[in-house]
Amino acid sequence: MLSYLIRRVLIMIPTLLAISAIVFIIIQLPPGDYLTTLVAELQSQGEAASLEKINFLRQQYGLDRSPVEQYLFWIAGLLQGDLGYSFEFNLPVAQVIGDRLLLSFIVAFATVLFTYVVAFPIGIYSATRQYSWGDYSLTFIGFLGLATPSFLLALVLLYFANVAFGTSIGGLVDPQYIEQPMSWGKFWSVLEHLWIPVLVIGASGTAAMIRRLRANLLDELQKQYVVTARAKGLPPGRLLVKYPLRMAINPFIADIGSLLPSLISGAAIVSVVLSLPTNGPMLLSALRSQDMYLAGSFLMIEACLVVIGVFLSDLALAALDPRIRLHGEATK
Amino acid sequence: MIRRGAIMLGALWALTPAPMNAAYIEPPSLAAEVAAGRLPPIEQRLPQSPLKAMPEGKDMELGRHGGELRFLIGRPQDVRLMVVYSYARLVVYDTKFELRPDIVEAVESDGDRVFTFKLRRGHRWSDGQPFTSEDFRYYWHDVVLNKQLSPLGPPQVLMVDGKPPRVEFPDATTVRYSWSSPNPYFLPAVAGPSPLYIYRPAHYLRQFHAKYTDAETLAAEVKKAGVRNWQALHNRRDNQYRNDNPDLPTLDPWVVQTKPPSDRFVFVRNPYFHRVDPEGRQLPYIDRVAATVADGRLIPAKTGAGEADLQARGISFNNYTFLRQAAKRNDFTVRLWNTAKGSHIALFPNLNASDPTWRQLNRDPRFRRALSLAINRREINQVIYFGLALEAANTVLPQSPLYRNYYRLAAAQFDLRTANRLLDEIGVVKRDGRGVRLLPDGRPLEVIVETAGEDTEQTDVLELIHDSWLDAGVKLFSRPSQREVFRNRIFAGQTKMSVWSGLENGLPTAATPPDELAPTSQQQLQWPKWGQYIETRGGSGEAVDDPAAKELMRLNEDWRLSVSRSERERIWHRMLEIHAEQVFTIGLIAGVKQPVVVNSHLRNVPAEGVYNWDPGSFFGVYRPELFWFDESRRTAASAAQ
Repeated sequence: MLSYLIRRVLIMIPTLLAISAIVFIIIQLPPGDYLTTLVAELQSQGEAASLEKINFLRQQYGLDRSPVEQYLFWIAGLLQGDLGYSFEFNLPVAQVIGDRLLLSFIVAFATVLFTYVVAFPIGIYSATRQYSWGDYSLTFIGFLGLATPSFLLALVLLYFANVAFGTSIGGLVDPQYIEQPMSWGKFWSVLEHLWIPVLVIGASGTAAMIRRLRANLLDELQKQYVVTARAKGLPPGRLLVKYPLRMAINPFIADIGSLLPSLISGAAIVSVVLSLPTNGPMLLSALRSQDMYLAGSFLMIEACLVVIGVFLSDLALAALDPRIRLHGEATK
Repeated sequence: MIRRGAIMLGALWALTPAPMNAAYIEPPSLAAEVAAGRLPPIEQRLPQSPLKAMPEGKDMELGRHGGELRFLIGRPQDVRLMVVYSYARLVVYDTKFELRPDIVEAVESDGDRVFTFKLRRGHRWSDGQPFTSEDFRYYWHDVVLNKQLSPLGPPQVLMVDGKPPRVEFPDATTVRYSWSSPNPYFLPAVAGPSPLYIYRPAHYLRQFHAKYTDAETLAAEVKKAGVRNWQALHNRRDNQYRNDNPDLPTLDPWVVQTKPPSDRFVFVRNPYFHRVDPEGRQLPYIDRVAATVADGRLIPAKTGAGEADLQARGISFNNYTFLRQAAKRNDFTVRLWNTAKGSHIALFPNLNASDPTWRQLNRDPRFRRALSLAINRREINQVIYFGLALEAANTVLPQSPLYRNYYRLAAAQFDLRTANRLLDEIGVVKRDGRGVRLLPDGRPLEVIVETAGEDTEQTDVLELIHDSWLDAGVKLFSRPSQREVFRNRIFAGQTKMSVWSGLENGLPTAATPPDELAPTSQQQLQWPKWGQYIETRGGSGEAVDDPAAKELMRLNEDWRLSVSRSERERIWHRMLEIHAEQVFTIGLIAGVKQPVVVNSHLRNVPAEGVYNWDPGSFFGVYRPELFWFDESRRTAASAAQ
């Protein structure tokens, strides 16, 4: 087991290096660089930037160096914990990202909580009472959630919340609380705004989770050990929780791998529509304006989190499910 | 224009130096600071002769201090809009788009060759330090002439015939710029929305300058800021336009308080601002301004929800009906202001296309005229703009003193017969089975119009043009792209025709530089390579070889050297005439209104105005420091509810 762990950790290093190269290449692929974006933008506002000035800036930003040099420069910085410099914000990347981390985390955490709290009981109910009236109607609602485009749902809810409750449109708090220290008023304002993104982002995830839990649980419920346990007179509730549910829960654990990165930039599109002060919209705008160090470092953090997340969920699965553990031992 | 030794008295603005003994009124929000001794009293904060300003338009009234103004911005970087709106410049445009002194007490100009600025005695930066000619000297000697900070030398607009100006600082309140040949671009650049700042807060910036700070301290600062060298640090701290450094002293009415990154930027009143109202109240009236960042697509919705007190940015004409509906619910009014662009949407045939057949075709004025005549502008206006826009070529607007019907209509009538005749004349007579004409090399006459892909409005308009062009035997395809790709393809000549907005300034006077009409910049989408050639002084691009474009260049140069108004007027008319005849750009529609949302309690925002970048600075020429909240009416209204 220990050597397996060490191997897994070591293999992360070349994986991340490969990802960093691919990320950098993809960011560099579109024609132009940040400055062409800047010029186009200045133009659209009627401002002019002379060619000389642009060349001067290109030099200042280090964009005149070759891509390979730029890549090495960036990677060397990353290894020392320096995420680079954001052209667009004129600030070090760490500062730009760090500021929004807490709110991103709150939104993601609330969404995950919502998903689990809703999906768990419904999934179990649907599986144990398969093809009942309740199963059908809950499944129907779940599919509605899965099928509705989330950005549309977001806009509808925003308008509704504004007209009905007077909630300010977009964002996570009323404007007057932005940049203010935490208070009860601010906390309440956050709660007032939070339900929309949580509902919207959670809706599709919940439906998918219900279906998976239901399918897995149905598989298990047919198995002989369940029949045996039932024959031995185990109470139904205890039986369900102790055996089939434990088996069916694997996909939830495996999901941890993808949960971690979504804490950083989850649901970028919905966040853009809702104008949430989270990291998702920032990543999108960084990619669009070719603010390459911001985008690159962002993606690298995500890649790290995915790699770590997958590693952690593998560990958790191995700990929880003897079959996986034994299988792992056997192949070695 | 500003003439030698004279300060013009405006028709709309009374600008008189207030007498020394006038009793000034302290803004209540600063009273506590003054009482506590943290701020000197108002008499010591104002210059000896503050600018007395009073809006004299209809419905304008004297205001009261206080309140917070909210508006929305699409990105944190748009915090610089506040510099645009605030519009404190050495000289500014008034609502008639004439130049007037603002920060300076007076400016004398000698034939546009020698400019002498007289500063206000006792004028102070927002941190209380004196604003003197030393700040101009620092800019000229330590920023512009410093090879490390400005490797390219002075900004282009300060160079005349390749030579920099002579800059002198006779005393603490006098600054003189002189050239041997006229530089009419100088004051407009200083008065621009993104102005040429010819002064710097020297007392603040010295700490980042290698000449004034010892290498060790500076190196520590550089390291702390995480930049490459002291030049980068200096440039970072010194960005009056970007407005991203709360520590940088300013002369604007409001000072940014929030350090980026943030989603809400707060600006507080500058206690040293140099304007007062006729009763002696220090301006601005409004204490605080808050700019909230919201996604561009949410701005109309948020504005409709009453989350902005003054909003035009991010709102377009097609939001008008929605906003009108929301206005009743959320207590605001929607005004329709004029825009000043020569064309809201225009087509740009690329005269520098790399495809030889197309280059030849695009350069044929008959071809461009035929395409223009084959557009039914009336239909576009009715279908998309409710008939409220103006059917026009890309030229000056009727409100400009230079306007003539001929310029607008010469090539903008719907006339398919002439269009077909012109195309036959060019020699593209044969047609294929679809009725599309064939080029001499056998290819069908299919025009691919590239768009920046941001706006469905443009595609809708192109769809309408498609049908009428087909009657002239021209097939139109629109190809959405992405802004950077769009521009680079045009610059490289890969694009045959593109769509964008027309002339930036459709309201010029004879004194406005006509450089937009001549090849001067790569960004002119109809002749990018010629523009590049001029911009790089022959370094790259292609030399202008079209006789009409050459004449435009010559006229542009003549305009610079001429001094008399009549001479300049003649030059402008000749240039507009050339454009009307040559149809270098095909204007479609102009005068599309800009909705402006104004809180019902916000006073002194004109009911009608021009929403324009340069000149105009958006709200700038209407002096936002004179806007104020009528709290008495607001309380009365909420009590009634």
